[in-house]
Amino acid sequence: MLASVRRIAAVTVMGLRAIPDRLGASLVIVIGMALVVAVTISILSMSVGFMRTVHNTGRIDRAIVLSHGSQYEFGSAISRDNALTIGDAPGIKIAGDGKPIVSAEYLVAVLVTKTSDGLDAYLSLRGVGLEGFALRPEIKLVSGRMFLPARHELIVGKSALAQFEGLEVGGQVPLADGDWTITGSFESNGDERESELLADSETLLSAMRANTFHSVTVMLQTPESLEQFRTAIAANPTLAVDVTRETEFLADQSKYLNTFLTMIAYVVGGIMGLGATFGALNTMYTAVSARALEIATLRAIGFSGVAVVVSVLAESLVLALSGAAIGAVAAWIVFNGNLHTVGGLVFRLAVPPSLIALGLAFAFALGFAGGLFPAIRAARLPVADALRAT
Amino acid sequence: MKYLPLVWNGLWRRPARTIFTLLSIAVAYILFGILSGIDAGFAHTLAVSRMDRLFTDSRFGAPMPLSYAEQIASVPGVAVVAPRSGLFGYFQDPKNSVYVLCADRRFFSLRPEITISTPQLETLLQTRTGAAVSAEQARKYGWKVGDKVPIQTQTAQADGNQVWTFDIVAIVDDLNYPGGGGWFIANYSYLDEGRVTEKGTITRFLVRIRDPERGGQIGHQIDKLFANSSVATRTSSERSGAQSGLQFFGDVNFLTGAVLGAVFFMLLFLSGNTMLQSVRERVPEFAVLKALGFSDRSVLSLVVAESVLLCLLAAALGLLVSKLIIPIARGPLSDFLLLLQMPWTALLRGLGLALIVALLSSLLPALRVKQLKVDALVKRQ
Repeated sequence: MLASVRRIAAVTVMGLRAIPDRLGASLVIVIGMALVVAVTISILSMSVGFMRTVHNTGRIDRAIVLSHGSQYEFGSAISRDNALTIGDAPGIKIAGDGKPIVSAEYLVAVLVTKTSDGLDAYLSLRGVGLEGFALRPEIKLVSGRMFLPARHELIVGKSALAQFEGLEVGGQVPLADGDWTITGSFESNGDERESELLADSETLLSAMRANTFHSVTVMLQTPESLEQFRTAIAANPTLAVDVTRETEFLADQSKYLNTFLTMIAYVVGGIMGLGATFGALNTMYTAVSARALEIATLRAIGFSGVAVVVSVLAESLVLALSGAAIGAVAAWIVFNGNLHTVGGLVFRLAVPPSLIALGLAFAFALGFAGGLFPAIRAARLPVADALRAT
Repeated sequence: MKYLPLVWNGLWRRPARTIFTLLSIAVAYILFGILSGIDAGFAHTLAVSRMDRLFTDSRFGAPMPLSYAEQIASVPGVAVVAPRSGLFGYFQDPKNSVYVLCADRRFFSLRPEITISTPQLETLLQTRTGAAVSAEQARKYGWKVGDKVPIQTQTAQADGNQVWTFDIVAIVDDLNYPGGGGWFIANYSYLDEGRVTEKGTITRFLVRIRDPERGGQIGHQIDKLFANSSVATRTSSERSGAQSGLQFFGDVNFLTGAVLGAVFFMLLFLSGNTMLQSVRERVPEFAVLKALGFSDRSVLSLVVAESVLLCLLAAALGLLVSKLIIPIARGPLSDFLLLLQMPWTALLRGLGLALIVALLSSLLPALRVKQLKVDALVKRQ
C-alpha cells in the first residue's frame, strides 16, 4: 500500500517537474483559470457587499409596519392616528423613560449628484420619531452635532457623504420650504442607513405639508414578541396594515438586485469556465502526448494506471489552482472595499475568504474536468505502440 | 483559394486539439453575443428616450397644481404640454403591482410610440372609467376588452373605498418596448373627480419642445417659473432620465467591457498556443513545402490562413448559438433587463475581433515558419 502511494507520488512529481518544459501550453490553463476566477469573484463581490449592507441593516427584534399590500415604504401610508395605535400595541419594548420604542417615519426622495460621474441619483431623507435613535442604537454621530427638532436640520450618513456632491457637514440641502442645514454625519455599522439623510419626522412632515407617515418601525421586547404584536395589530379593526420582521422585509427588498447580480455572475462565470475547460483539455492532451514515451516506460516497468491518472490530474489541478489563486488575489486587491453605488444605495464591494474559497473550488472542478479524460487516455495508452513510436 | 484544401487539412491534423480550441473560442463568442444583446437592450432604451421630450417633475415630491400646464405652455419653444398623474396599486395580489397612469388626449400625442388607434382613443376618452393597457400586461393578467378590472390602491374615493374599478376598452402594442414592460392608462378626470385628497394636482408634465437642442435651456426656463412657487419643479430630458435610470444596475458598459476584455485576452493565449503547437509539429512539412518551391510568403500565408479559418469558424459558430439562445433567454430575463438580438454592427465587430485574435496569434508561428531553413530541417530529419 505504502509502496504504491510512494510510486504515485514519484510519477506525480515527475509530471509536475516537467511543467516548465511545456510552459506555453501550461500558461493556457493558468491564465484561463485566473481570468475566469477573477471575473466571477468580481461580479459576486458586488452581490456579497450589497447583501452584507442589507444584512447589517436588519435586526430580528425590530418589525416594520406598512399599510396593507404595500411592498415599499414609499408606497405605504399610515395616518397619525394609526401610528399612535400601533405604538400602543403589546409586544413593543419599553424604554427607560416608560415610552415604547417606536418610530413613525416619513421619507422624502432628495435629488443629488454622484461625485464620480455627475449623474443624478435619489437619496432617501428619512424623518425619524423621537425614539428613532433608541430604536437604532447602531447609529453613531461621527462629526458635527445632532439635528434639533423644529429646525431645518438634518444629518448625513457616511456613505452618502462619500459618494454624492455637496453633502458635507455645514452644507445645505434644498427642500420644499427652503434649505436645510447638514449639522452632522453618522455611521451605522455599514448599513443602508449610511446612504440616507436623517431628520426629525414632525419637522419634515410640516415642511412637506404632509399628514401621513410612510412606515412605523418598532423595537420588539424579544424576537419572539413578533407574533404577540402582529396578532394585536391584526385584531384591531381600525388598522389595515402588514407587520413584517425587519430582517425579512429587507431580504425581500433586496431579492431582486441580489438575484440579478448572482445570476449574471454565474452565467458569465459558467460560460467562461466552459471555455477555460476546453482550453485545459487541450493542454492536458498535449501534455499526455508529450509524456507518452515517459508514461509508456513507467507502465512497462510496472507502474500502475492509477499512478499515471493521478499524475495527470495533479498537473491539471496544480495549474488550475495556481491560476485561480492569481485571479482571486487580483480581484481582492482591485475590488475589496471599493465603494459602489446602485441607485441611491452605497455599499462596499467585498471579497471575503468564502468567496475566494468558492473561486478555488470552481477552478478545482474545472481543472478536474479538464484533466480527467486526458488522464484516462494516458492510463490506457498502449505501452508497446508508444515505445515503438520513437 | 486553391490552397484551401491544404489549409483545411492542416487545421484538422489533430482533430481533438482543433475541436477543443474551436469550442473554447465558440463558447467565448456565445458570451460575446449575449453581452452584446444586453448592451443593445440598453442602447435601445436610451435611443427611444427622446431629446425633444422633457419631464417636469416636482422638485421635492409634493404634487404640482394642474394650472402649471398653461404656464409651461407659455414658455417659448414648448409645443405640447401633457399633464399626467397616477395611482399605485395592485390587481388581486400585492405582488401584481399595477401603476395606473392617468392622463388625457395630450398624453398620446406626446407618446406616439403607443400605437393606439383613433377609434380606440375616442372610446377611451368617452368612457369615464375606461383604460387602455399594453398587450404585455393584458396577457399577464388575462384581461380582455370589456373586462372590469378592480385595482386596490392607497388612494381613497369619496366613500372611503380604495378600490378603483376600470373598464378595459383597448389593448395596445408598444413599439418602444416589444415584449417587455407593461402600462395601464386611464382618464385623469376619473381619478381627479373620484379622489378626496390632492384634487387638481399632477405628478408629472410631459413637455414636447420644438428644438431638441434647446432642451437644457427650456428646462431651465420652466424651473425658473416655479422657483418661488409653493411647489418647485425640476425639468430634465427623457434621455438624461434614462441614463440615470440605467445606473440602477451599476455601470453595465464597464462590466461588459471588462468581461469581454478578459475573454479576448484568454482567447489570444488559447489560439496562439494551438497555432504554436501545430506549427512546431509540422516543421518538417513546411520544410518540404519550401523545398517544393513555396515562397516564404506563401508558407507564411498558409499559417495565417489556418489561424484565420479556425477563429472565424469558431466565432461564427458561437455567434450563431448565441443568436439562438437570446430569444429563449429573453423571457426569464425580462424582469431584470431587456435582452435584444445583437445588431449587425456587434456581429461585425465580433468577427473583426476574431480576425484580430487570429492574426495576432498566428504572428509568432508564421514568423517561425518564414525563417525556416530547408537544409537545417533536412539535417534534422
